[in-house]
Amino acid sequence: MAFDILLVDDSPVTRKMVRRAVSLSGLDIGQVLEAGDGAEALLRLAERRFDLVLADINMPVMNGMELVERMSADPVLSGVPVVIVATPLSEARVERLLDLGARAYLPKPFRPEALKGVVEEILGKGVIHA
Amino acid sequence: MPELTPAMLSDILGTVLEDTAFMLVEPVELPEAWVGTVLRSTLDFESVRSGTLRLTVEEPAGVELASSMLGTDGSDPEALQHGRAALSEVLNVVGGVFLTRYFGAKVPSQLGLPQTEPLEGRPPVPAGLAAAVRTEGGHAMMLELELG
Repeated sequence: MAFDILLVDDSPVTRKMVRRAVSLSGLDIGQVLEAGDGAEALLRLAERRFDLVLADINMPVMNGMELVERMSADPVLSGVPVVIVATPLSEARVERLLDLGARAYLPKPFRPEALKGVVEEILGKGVIHA
Repeated sequence: MPELTPAMLSDILGTVLEDTAFMLVEPVELPEAWVGTVLRSTLDFESVRSGTLRLTVEEPAGVELASSMLGTDGSDPEALQHGRAALSEVLNVVGGVFLTRYFGAKVPSQLGLPQTEPLEGRPPVPAGLAAAVRTEGGHAMMLELELG
């Protein structure tokens, strides 16, 4: 079954690149919507359900780390897996992100197959909408 | 920490351009002349030492970059529109690769937000380490590192 993704990145170019990678990944994708920062992502997440969030770290207004923290503290949103898609990070920052509740970290740049592997590991090969 | 050299900077920039935008580049001498509008992207970082990375290009190089990243033709309106954002994103990735390659992945490091703006006048002579590459489209890209 197709699943819906929220892309969170302040760079419109990166959002388009990640969207392209998602479409080339071979994953069964439903809707892909976008947000420009963590605060906008929380608004989108309040409006409708997503199966997965792909979020950058380095963003204005609300960065990816705070987004993960807010989602983990929310009883509804804590069930939505977040994959951090960001520039190479120090091991300490990756550990901190995983401690806060991110499910995986995918360093930029990445290939569509890498995205597919991470998503399938988190969501399984067949995703069913609730 | 590895030795800081222009070759290290050009290698990081070349690797990021290839992996992010599928662009092949070659190291060249620092540009002596710049034509038309020049864009400069600036990114501050903090790690064992703080510093700044700067990526300077002529505006058409930004369009070439955006079209490569988006997989479109250089005349595509999206490529024309996103040249500056593409430059910011490439410098952002360059910053992450530089920090982990130079300071190491175990050291806590923090990148700022890249800012890309047109320069008024010609770029000043680099104050720190600098390297340049030339794209397949013939455009120069100059990466500078200034450590605090």
